[in-house]
Amino acid sequence: MTISRRAFIQAGGLAMVSLGADPLFLDRAAYALGDLRRGVAGGKTLVCLFQRGAVDGLSMIVPAGDSWYWQERQRIALPKDELISLDGMFALHPRLAPLKPLWDRKSLAIVHAVGSPSTTRSHFDAQDYMESGTPDRKSTPDGWANRYCSHAREHAETPFRAVAFGPQLPRTLAGSAPALAIDDLRTFGMRAARADGEQRLTRAFESLYQGAATGLVASSSAEGFEAIKMLKAADPTAIPPANGAQYPRGKLGTSMQQIAQLIKADLGMQVAFADVGGWDTHVNQGSGQGQLATRLDELAGALGAFTADLGERMRDVVVVTMSEFGRTVKENGTGGTDHGHGTAMMVLGGDVRGGQVYGRWPTLAPDARHEGRDLAVTTDFRAVFGEVLTGHLGAADLGSVFPGFTAGSRLAMFG
Amino acid sequence: MTRYRHFAAFGLLLAAVLPAASQAPLTPRDSARHVLNRLGYGATPGEVDAIATEGVKRWIDRQLAVRDPRDPALAAREDGYDVLHTAARDMVAMHTDQLAKALKAQAGGADSMRRPAADAERREQRATGGKKELRDLNAELMSVTLLRATSSDHQLAEVLADFWTNHFNVFIGKGFDRAYFADYLEHTIRPNVLGRFETLLTATAKSPAMLFYLDNVESVADGTSMQALAPGRMQAAAGRGRFAGRAGAARGLGRTRQPDPAMVERVKARMPKGINENYARELMELHTLGVDGGYSQQDVGNVARILTGWGMDRRSNFEYRFLDGAHDRNAKSVLGVAFPAGHGEDEGMRLLKLLAEQPATMHHVSAKLCARFVADVPPDGCIDDAVRAWKQSGGEIREVVRAILYSPDFWAAANVQSKVKTPLEFVVSALRAVGGEPDATPRLVQQVAKLGQPLFQMTTPNGYPESQSEWVNSGALLARMNFAVALAGGRLPGAMVDLDRVVPLTTDHVVLVDGVNRAILAGGMTAQTRTTILREIADINNARDARALAVGLALGGPEFQRQ
Repeated sequence: MTISRRAFIQAGGLAMVSLGADPLFLDRAAYALGDLRRGVAGGKTLVCLFQRGAVDGLSMIVPAGDSWYWQERQRIALPKDELISLDGMFALHPRLAPLKPLWDRKSLAIVHAVGSPSTTRSHFDAQDYMESGTPDRKSTPDGWANRYCSHAREHAETPFRAVAFGPQLPRTLAGSAPALAIDDLRTFGMRAARADGEQRLTRAFESLYQGAATGLVASSSAEGFEAIKMLKAADPTAIPPANGAQYPRGKLGTSMQQIAQLIKADLGMQVAFADVGGWDTHVNQGSGQGQLATRLDELAGALGAFTADLGERMRDVVVVTMSEFGRTVKENGTGGTDHGHGTAMMVLGGDVRGGQVYGRWPTLAPDARHEGRDLAVTTDFRAVFGEVLTGHLGAADLGSVFPGFTAGSRLAMFG
Repeated sequence: MTRYRHFAAFGLLLAAVLPAASQAPLTPRDSARHVLNRLGYGATPGEVDAIATEGVKRWIDRQLAVRDPRDPALAAREDGYDVLHTAARDMVAMHTDQLAKALKAQAGGADSMRRPAADAERREQRATGGKKELRDLNAELMSVTLLRATSSDHQLAEVLADFWTNHFNVFIGKGFDRAYFADYLEHTIRPNVLGRFETLLTATAKSPAMLFYLDNVESVADGTSMQALAPGRMQAAAGRGRFAGRAGAARGLGRTRQPDPAMVERVKARMPKGINENYARELMELHTLGVDGGYSQQDVGNVARILTGWGMDRRSNFEYRFLDGAHDRNAKSVLGVAFPAGHGEDEGMRLLKLLAEQPATMHHVSAKLCARFVADVPPDGCIDDAVRAWKQSGGEIREVVRAILYSPDFWAAANVQSKVKTPLEFVVSALRAVGGEPDATPRLVQQVAKLGQPLFQMTTPNGYPESQSEWVNSGALLARMNFAVALAGGRLPGAMVDLDRVVPLTTDHVVLVDGVNRAILAGGMTAQTRTTILREIADINNARDARALAVGLALGGPEFQRQ
């Protein structure tokens, strides 16, 4: 922490010199950052990673001890000798090998047969419900992570409190609390042909939007200009990966690396969001090789690099993976799987009591399946999010975050 | 008397009636700006005045009267885009060749992947007859789409082409869809943008692009024999397995060649063995009934079974073909309607007609059209008007759109300038505002992608969203500001602009800002914007620089984000 603070001050100093003196700009940036140092309690961060398209939880975290897995998936079941055993019952897909050390260090927990009480098999509705946190209710205007942010307002405000990586703000973070969407940290800000133009443009557009715009356009632009100033001062993209971490090429790797940079720059980020698509494997899903394996390779590579990069700081960070639903127990006619119900989530970092698979395993026996075909859901996804919010971010009251929901028995994943 | 009839009856007086219908009367120029923003991609220099003079209603009717989306005035420029003259089968051949090459490289191990680039280039040229590669052709398709949106006089047809391309979304990057997409856009979507909904629905259902994208081509009746599917696949496999030059697989090469046994095994292992319900579900959820349209999981399964056999001829032309042997001939029922046993392709046609005529479909699709033309959260009255026109016309899109445009909701003050432009709308309207055009490179296409809307690359079948909450956020707004300043400064890759057409050079800053207000914002500039622009250009003596900055700030400012 002290090192990164020092790095920050240094970087801030450099930025002042290179930008030329603009007292107004400097004052405001310094003020904002001073606030942050006092403000954001504990510097805890939650990273949400959405696997869009409904990941096949059964081949991601394989219930190797359930004979139905092998019976129903003649073509796509993982070869037994390639599986990475976790606890006798469950095993990791071989491409998740980079996560095994985390499991062994008890900093990776898994929740299986988790999902939504909604029975929809529409990607869009199911994603919407998981992001709004209100299954089967479409009228909810905001996302659960945004409601958490607007509820727990005791912290100093920073435009970086909630950040999503991508060109658009995901539903999870949509709502009245400010949230940033950043496609790429390296290009975030105003660009001008001449060096002196950058500040002129920033000033001009800030004034245009302050005066004339209302609603979403006004608030989004205001956050944007504040963020530009803080990024200029803190320069997070100059922070190199630590501990030899190598992020995989591509959007997910870049997002995870930039999330790590924002964490290390101490900009007060409390909730980060990234997503990764390609999990809708209706055809030729593959087993040890193939579509699913390729996606898991990238996922494990990104998570492995992220945890290595943050090192000790992972104590302040929890990553949760999520997906809108799982896939059919039985492979379909085309070497793939169709839309199902329950799936698996991973929770890693922070004070998680890892090295365990949480949730009740309903078995894959036909009469135990949801509608006779899918892994039944025994843990509501809101129970997992709720425990992360209370156990990691210290939320006291989840009533407004997940209205109308009370978890049955606690998973007790934290503390 | 319905609202639609009410307005139709006063049709000739419409232009005069409209301002009175809203709280704050729209001037003829306001009305012209509004229709240009909603039925088109914004105004070009002088266009607001021209339409206000011509009469807004006459312009609307001219747009609705378009039969062929192609603007003859653009024909010469469209001619330069090879993709518009390349047959689907040739694009399939190019894709098959690329697959064959990839397979060969895989088989040859790492070394063969590092063959000298020149060698690869030669092989590529041989394979494609020295012509463009598939990805160049697809980049051309995106470029010509921007050209049409920017420069076509058939603006409503272009807006509807975008609407239906999203409604029946296909991801251009999924496997064979790289080869099918151009044909899909040109021959499935565009000819039907103002035609009958059922025709459009059926065209998409039979298009190889959709069949492949949503996996219906892989969906077969339980117990379908290998023979029912095999010939085409085997011979395609032979072509892939023995990469031997030109476009073999797609051109019926199986006649003289024995299939490679290893490849035969591979194909056998991948042969579909049952239904895949992906298309069936999206057909009902997205294309027709809507997610709350009253269908069950059982309906989804039965729709999938009805559409088994809707596939393509993999042997010769890769066009739609009904594969009798893959079809499930048992009895089914959908939405309580019986589909008796023993039928073939005809029951799929019956199904599409049934779905197209459902009240839920009329409502779902009308609501989407109202969201596009009127307000993100479409007013009930507008949807009612559209549904009524749908029923009366038997699903003529032209009449449904006409009803929406004549609906009082379209003209209500609350709905004018109420929508935020999508990235595509923003880029094209900015280009139109400065009298610009895309150049012949794909660079402007890349700009649209940077702003968050890479053309034809929405991976999920719901297509790009319409509502502002999906498009407005800090990062996206900053990107729009950067785009605007670069465009006005003549520094935007891919666009040619002509600011002389927008506002003449002047050293009088007040005259300049007045000119920018009229030309770019059709007089809608706020006092705050005016003050800010004047302040920022105050110390700029070079008239050209001052003009570029003033235009850039107007395009990047809050007023221009709205439509």
